[in-house]
Amino acid sequence: MAVVEVENVTRVYEERGQPSAAALRGVSLKVEKGEFMALAGPSGSGKTTLLNLIGGLDVATSGKVMVDGRSLSGLSCVELADLRRDRIGFIFQAYNLVPVLTAAENAGYVLELKGVGAAERRAKVKAVFERMGLGAFLDSRPLKMSGGQQQRVAVARAIVSEPAVVLADEPTANLDQATGAALMDLMRELNRERGITFIFSTHDPMVLGRADRVVRLIDGQVVANAPPAQ
Amino acid sequence: MSGALGLGWRNIWRNRRRTLISMSAIGIGLFLVIFYSGLMAGMLGDAKNQLDDGGLGHIEMFADGYRLKHDVALSMPEVDAWRAKLTLPPGSEVGTRVLARGLATSARGNEPVQVMGVDWQDETRLSSHFRHIRAGALPEDAQGVLIGEQLAERLGLKVGSKLRLMVQRTDGEMGADLFRVRGIFHSIGASIGLRQVYVSQQTARDLIGLEKGAHQLVIQLPRPEQADAVAATLRGEVGAGTQVLTWGELLPVLKRMDALTDSVVFALAGFVYLLVGLGVLNTMLMSVLERTREFGVLMALGSRPRRIVQVVLAESFWIASVSVLAGAVLGGLLTWHFSSAGFQLNVGTEAIQLEGATMSTLVKTRFSVGDLFKASTFVYVMALVVGLYPASRITRLQPAEALRRA
Repeated sequence: MAVVEVENVTRVYEERGQPSAAALRGVSLKVEKGEFMALAGPSGSGKTTLLNLIGGLDVATSGKVMVDGRSLSGLSCVELADLRRDRIGFIFQAYNLVPVLTAAENAGYVLELKGVGAAERRAKVKAVFERMGLGAFLDSRPLKMSGGQQQRVAVARAIVSEPAVVLADEPTANLDQATGAALMDLMRELNRERGITFIFSTHDPMVLGRADRVVRLIDGQVVANAPPAQ
Repeated sequence: MSGALGLGWRNIWRNRRRTLISMSAIGIGLFLVIFYSGLMAGMLGDAKNQLDDGGLGHIEMFADGYRLKHDVALSMPEVDAWRAKLTLPPGSEVGTRVLARGLATSARGNEPVQVMGVDWQDETRLSSHFRHIRAGALPEDAQGVLIGEQLAERLGLKVGSKLRLMVQRTDGEMGADLFRVRGIFHSIGASIGLRQVYVSQQTARDLIGLEKGAHQLVIQLPRPEQADAVAATLRGEVGAGTQVLTWGELLPVLKRMDALTDSVVFALAGFVYLLVGLGVLNTMLMSVLERTREFGVLMALGSRPRRIVQVVLAESFWIASVSVLAGAVLGGLLTWHFSSAGFQLNVGTEAIQLEGATMSTLVKTRFSVGDLFKASTFVYVMALVVGLYPASRITRLQPAEALRRA
C-alpha cells in the first residue's frame, strides 16, 4: 500500500508575481509503507521542494500529492496542519529544536499539539529517548547538547507520535561521518522496528548506501528510481 | 511547558535586555500617564473643591443685576423663605450673605474691604477659613467682627482692637459703625485675608439699611461636577429675577483650565500610548521575525495558525502583564502617596490666586482606582492588539517559506 503518491507534480516559483524557475517538472513517485527511501541529487535539483510538497509545507503548482491515502490539494491550512501533526514527522538538516524547550519538551511538542497529557507525554518521550540512548538528556536544553545528540532528539520528535511517514531533509549534513552513520543506523532500526516509512534527501553516498531505494532528481525531474548501487 | 503561555514566557527572556527595555518603556509610559493625569486632576480638583477658600460656592444666586452694579439695594428679600425649598443633593451646604463694599479704618490706617454679613454657623460650614481661627473666636455680639491675618497686620489690629467700618447704604447715604475685633482667621488666599471682614448678618443689614433678605445665596455641593445639573433645576424653582450661576460661570478661567487640562492629559496619554505601542510593535516584530524559521518548524510539526498566534500573543501578554503591573503599581503608589501627603510647589506663597479661584501650592494628586484601571487596561489591550500584527505576518507564510528564512 502506497503511503505517499506523487502524480505529475510541478512546482513553479513566482518572483514578483511572475513565474520564474520550475523547481519540479512533472514528478511522479510512489512510496510504499515501511520503505526507507532516499531522494538524491545535486543542490537545486528539487529534493527539498519535493519533500515540502509531500509534507504539505508547500503547495504544488499542478499535479497531485497523496499522503496516507488523502489528497493534499484543496486542504485548508488547518487541515494540512492537522495532517502533519497526525501523520507526518519531520527531521531538518539544522535540527531546528526550540532552544527554550528542554529536549523532552521538544520531542513531546507534537504530542502536546495532539492533546496528550503531560504525564503520558513524558512517559512516551522517555521510552523513545531510552531506546535512542538519550535517557540522560530528557531535561537538557538543546544548546547544551552536541549536534549528534540534537539530531537524535529531532528524530525522537519525528517518531514519538508514530506518524505514517517521516520526511528528513539532509539529516546528516551537519554531522561528522561517524555520527551521521550512527544516526542513519538508528533511523533504519526504527524503520524496521516500527514500520515507519522514511523518505530522506541526501547526496551523501554513505546515506544513500543505507536506503532501500534511491530516487534521483536532476533539474526537477526524476532521472532514476532504483535500489542503491552497491 | 504549559502550552502557549509557558512557551511565550520563556521566549520573552531569550533576549533579556530587549525585553527589559520594552517593559521599562511600557511601565514608565503608563506610570507617567497615571501620575500626570492624577496630578492635573488633583490640582484642578483642589481648585474646584477649595472654592470655599475664596468664599465661593459651586452655585451662587444673586438678584438680577447685582453682580454688574454691586448695588446694595439689589437684594433677594425673600431668600430666607425659599432657600429651604430648594431641591439640592443630600450633603449640600447652603448659606446667605449680606454684602457691602466699604472702608475699614483703624488707628493706623484704612483699607478697602468687603463687608460680609453672615450666619456664623452656616458660614463655618461654607468657608474653610472660618475653621482656621488663629486668634480669638467667632464673634458672639452684634459689634464683633472677624478679620483675616493680613488685614490685622496691615491695620495693626489684634483681638479686642477697635475697627470702624464705613459702607454705602441702600438709601444712598453712608453708613458707619464702630466694631471690635473678636477673631482673626487664616486663609491660604492673601486677598481674602486682607479684604474680607465678617459681621453677623443682622448687623450687616442694620449697617446698610436692608430690611430683610440677602444679596447672595451660596451652595456648596458634595461634588463640583453636580453644579450644572443642580443649577438647571434651581433656575426652574427660583424663577425670574434671580440669577443662578455655577462655579464654571463664576470662574470661567477655571472651567477653561479644566477643559484644557483634559485636552492636555488626553494628548499626553495619546502620545505616550503611541510610543508604547510602537515600542511593543518594534520589540515583537524583531523578536518574531528573527524567529521566522522557528515558527516554520512549529508549523511543520503541526501547529495550526491559531496556535502560532497564541504563542506570539502570549509573548505580548507577558510583556504587557509585567510592565503594566509595574507601571500601575508604581504610578498608583506615588499618586496615592501624594494624594494625601502632597508636595509643595516652591513659589513662596501658600496659594495661587487665579481670577478668583484659589489653588493651594501644596499640590495633592487625585488617586482614582477607576483612572488607574482605565489607563492600565488601555495599555494592556493595546500591547495585545499590537502583537497581532507580527503574528499575522508569520501565519500568512507557507511553512516552507518560513523554513527558508534565515
